[in-house]
Amino acid sequence: MRKIDKKEADSYFRIRTILITIYLLIGFTASFVVVFFAEELSEFSFNGMPFHYFMGAQGAILIFIILLFINAIINDRIDKKFGLDQDQKD
Amino acid sequence: MDSQFLVSLLMILGTFGLYIGIAVYNMARQTSDFYVAGRNVPAVFNGMAIGADWMSAASFIGLAGTVMLLGYDGLAYIMGWTGGYLLLTFLLAPQLRKSGRYTVPEFIGDRYSSSTARLIAAVATIIISFTYSIGQLSGSGVVIGRLLEVHTAVGTIIGVVLIAFYSALGGMKGITWTQVAQYLVLIIAYLIPVIFMSLQLTNNPIPWMTYGQIVGELQQLDAQLGVSEYVVPFTEATRWQFLALMFTLMAGTAGLPHVIVRFYTVSTMKAARWSGAWALLFIGLLYLSAPAYAAFSRFILMTQVAGSSIADLPAWTASWVNTGSLSVADTNADGILQWEEIVISNDIVVMATPEIANLGIFVIGLMAAGAMAAALSTAGGLMIAISAALSQDIYYRSINPEATESQRLLVGRASIIIATVAAGLVALNPPGAITQIVAWAFALASGTFFPALILGVWWKRANGPGVIAGMLTGLGVTLSYIFAAKYGGFTILGIIDTGAGVFGAAAAIIAIIVVSLATKAPSKETQEEVMDLRYPEGMTYKDGEVWRTDPADTKRPDH
Repeated sequence: MRKIDKKEADSYFRIRTILITIYLLIGFTASFVVVFFAEELSEFSFNGMPFHYFMGAQGAILIFIILLFINAIINDRIDKKFGLDQDQKD
Repeated sequence: MDSQFLVSLLMILGTFGLYIGIAVYNMARQTSDFYVAGRNVPAVFNGMAIGADWMSAASFIGLAGTVMLLGYDGLAYIMGWTGGYLLLTFLLAPQLRKSGRYTVPEFIGDRYSSSTARLIAAVATIIISFTYSIGQLSGSGVVIGRLLEVHTAVGTIIGVVLIAFYSALGGMKGITWTQVAQYLVLIIAYLIPVIFMSLQLTNNPIPWMTYGQIVGELQQLDAQLGVSEYVVPFTEATRWQFLALMFTLMAGTAGLPHVIVRFYTVSTMKAARWSGAWALLFIGLLYLSAPAYAAFSRFILMTQVAGSSIADLPAWTASWVNTGSLSVADTNADGILQWEEIVISNDIVVMATPEIANLGIFVIGLMAAGAMAAALSTAGGLMIAISAALSQDIYYRSINPEATESQRLLVGRASIIIATVAAGLVALNPPGAITQIVAWAFALASGTFFPALILGVWWKRANGPGVIAGMLTGLGVTLSYIFAAKYGGFTILGIIDTGAGVFGAAAAIIAIIVVSLATKAPSKETQEEVMDLRYPEGMTYKDGEVWRTDPADTKRPDH
């Protein structure tokens, strides 16, 4: 165990927090904001259905899945950058 | 019908044999194995196990029907149940994993240094998981009863015996690998019929690409008939009810003890993030398909069943009319069945699909096996959560701290059997519709655990008195709102009982903040432990400084 600069540790925490905030804002927009403006968004059509219906049935879920994978991949890179790469046997 | 009975029975028994075989093979020996599978389940498989845990009888049997009957308003369930994984994976799972605790009540008790808070959390775990499992057991009773042509009560009893047997025998390790098998069975069973329906209706085997076209045709059919249009939002409830229900389901997902405990079965924070991502991908396959089921089934009902002569209905309608789930009464006695004269139950959309699309007895048998996998796997995970709360948090921590490992294991196994039998007895005569009970369980979780966990992880000033006040307030407000909305007709902005979690969560968060600030700050140790959760496993926070540690040391904290 060795001491490291707290600034370094805090910059890890700050990057993580900023990224998570961005992901959650995107997720919130894809679900709550789209629902709130459902009537206005029904004018457009996507994948054969009105846009608000597409977002509820497909768009939001796909965005959620993509966000979770982006988070996992980017976080692995951040860990590596901070020398925290911990390749487990599994 | 005889050959159908045999095929269904063989498919159900064959898949059960597979699950039980895996459970026996992995027979647990130690408590740490029993509860969290030795923490070495790879992320992809843990994702599948979370998926099987997650997708209950309500999702498998009920969701597509709910979307079909509610139209756009039913999509609140789809977005709510998937969006919860964002909250869980971003805000809770990696931190809870780093904390190194075994159960949710244990985390709450240690984080808030309060055995009262731990007891409240243990009791809340039992209430939520028990409520949820009643729905699963009655769902399995319906499926077994219908397919084996025995009474629903007999079907429920068969389900109870099976769940009690393999949960108590294999523990979580058995269940993790069992649930991987269950996920595969249930997702294959769910996808095959919808792919064939897509092929029949549109000549294209990819339902996710084709049902938009069917939705478009449904819009025209609705307009011709002058009925409430399928895609028009907020026809069944207000915009605020949609948003409140969606929030309740998301926050409840992030607070459900039997789902969170899955994130303790991974070895690292990194594996927790990947498990969450894989889980949502596997879960998303089913949730992306449910609206396709809904659109195809509604289209077939509107075009092939409605408008036909009452004397000349398709053969599959008769057997469902007999179960009471479908009504095709010719109320205006003109000899023709109108769309308005069809009354269909949520539950039959998925189960009747293989018959509607004429897919043959093997697919029908597979659907039965898939529905049983959905009901049993969720019930199994719920039973582990109940058993851990009773034997670890209540018995070991509060009643008998001297208990040996084998005593705790015995209490754990006994509580699984007692809880399964008790839930089975209630399920013989369920207190409400399955989806309604499930929504209440989510509302209770979002009013209790969601605020306690989020603030516990992200706000070091939150303290014991605060969380006790918060969980009790959240529980009280959620329960009162459910009862007031359901029986008293009391609503705010048109939000009904299923959206109650939004008020419970808000009240609990306010109570935790106000009471925490009004009372003494948590000890320095506790605050340091919360600070420590900010950092990854290779870093440890102590006395205002951060230490770099070998990840191998922190990989499996001593307990």
